[in-house]
Amino acid sequence: MNKNTLTINAFSMQDVTIGPKYHITNTSLEIPDHPLFDIDDRLKSIKVKLVDPKDCHFKINTIMDVIPISTKVLGNIGYGMSNTLTGVSVILTGADETGVQLHEFGSSNGYLDEKIKFDTDGTPSSDDTIILIDVTLKSDFEFNRKTCEMVFNSADQFLQPIREELKVMNGRNAAESFEYEDIKHPGKPKVAVVKEVAGQGAMYDNMVFAKEPGGIEKGISIIDMDNMPILLSANEYRDGAIHALV
Amino acid sequence: MGIGPSTKETTMHHFHDPLVRVVASDPDVDFQGVILVGTPQDNYLKNLVGRRTAFWLEAMRTNGAIISADGWGNSDVDFINTMTEIGDKGISIVGLKFIGKQAGFVVESEHTKFVLDINKSKSGTETEIVGDNNLNEKDAHKALGLLKLKMRKDGQVPK
Repeated sequence: MNKNTLTINAFSMQDVTIGPKYHITNTSLEIPDHPLFDIDDRLKSIKVKLVDPKDCHFKINTIMDVIPISTKVLGNIGYGMSNTLTGVSVILTGADETGVQLHEFGSSNGYLDEKIKFDTDGTPSSDDTIILIDVTLKSDFEFNRKTCEMVFNSADQFLQPIREELKVMNGRNAAESFEYEDIKHPGKPKVAVVKEVAGQGAMYDNMVFAKEPGGIEKGISIIDMDNMPILLSANEYRDGAIHALV
Repeated sequence: MGIGPSTKETTMHHFHDPLVRVVASDPDVDFQGVILVGTPQDNYLKNLVGRRTAFWLEAMRTNGAIISADGWGNSDVDFINTMTEIGDKGISIVGLKFIGKQAGFVVESEHTKFVLDINKSKSGTETEIVGDNNLNEKDAHKALGLLKLKMRKDGQVPK
């Protein structure tokens, strides 16, 4: 396998529905409206619903993250092949049962259409179907790294069955396929990007090198690396080497 | 202070990162990669991670770098300190962060004038709208353009 090349096959989801189980075809996705696993004792509920960005004037808890759905098919993060869903994205929101919001510095709870700007690099496209995962903690929770990581992890676990089905889909049936090569330009000035990211505590952290693109499992917290600089290739970045916990 | 809703980079933002997209695909530069560095609480560690970042870039024989951050306030200390450490190695450095009318630098240095503001809101404030003040492709092009000029001025490339 050429370790300089990353192929991303994009499957365009035209039809996203709620049903009894996970099921995916080349153009459609069915998901349950709640996790099929036992949720953590600290949680009261995890509710999942589908949202149309063009019709979303309703109240939400603070937006913890916006997450793409992608999975490794061959190789590791940064090379080989990944299958990715387009036309669908995930918004994770969270609060406790009394309404205390899960955030570090400023909350985005309120009406969804007023609290997010669609069609940016970090937010869903207004043509997407949004999978809104709303996590409610029991009221006696402790706001610390472990609790927040558990919330992000629960959302990741909910998404994993989608990735498992997506993993075995044939790239030939993808709507689009992108090939990214690590191209060198000898003789040109050498340029690097330095990204300074959060690394101080609960909701102020980042995970790197999870097993799945934009995933959590096996990821390493930047805090646990004492915030030391690490080098990532452009393809690792494009392939979801980072999961934000901010 | 820290990272507010309108500047925070979501997992989706990192996945589509406009700065990586723009710099990695420019044929006029030899792109080396992304150094990811955290923002520790402790002052000793703040200085240490800045120094370690500069050592990496020096060992990579980097001519120029763009530093970006999604937070403001206390993290300015890390930001300017890391810029200074990189600049002291003779590497051209420009920055991108949220300033607006709300987030003037907590600390200033000779490098602050090479930091571009990513604010997009009319009010120049943390609007608490997710995605509102994020770095976008236009910001990335501006920063890369500025870096190219600075590298020329600093004698990194033959005139």
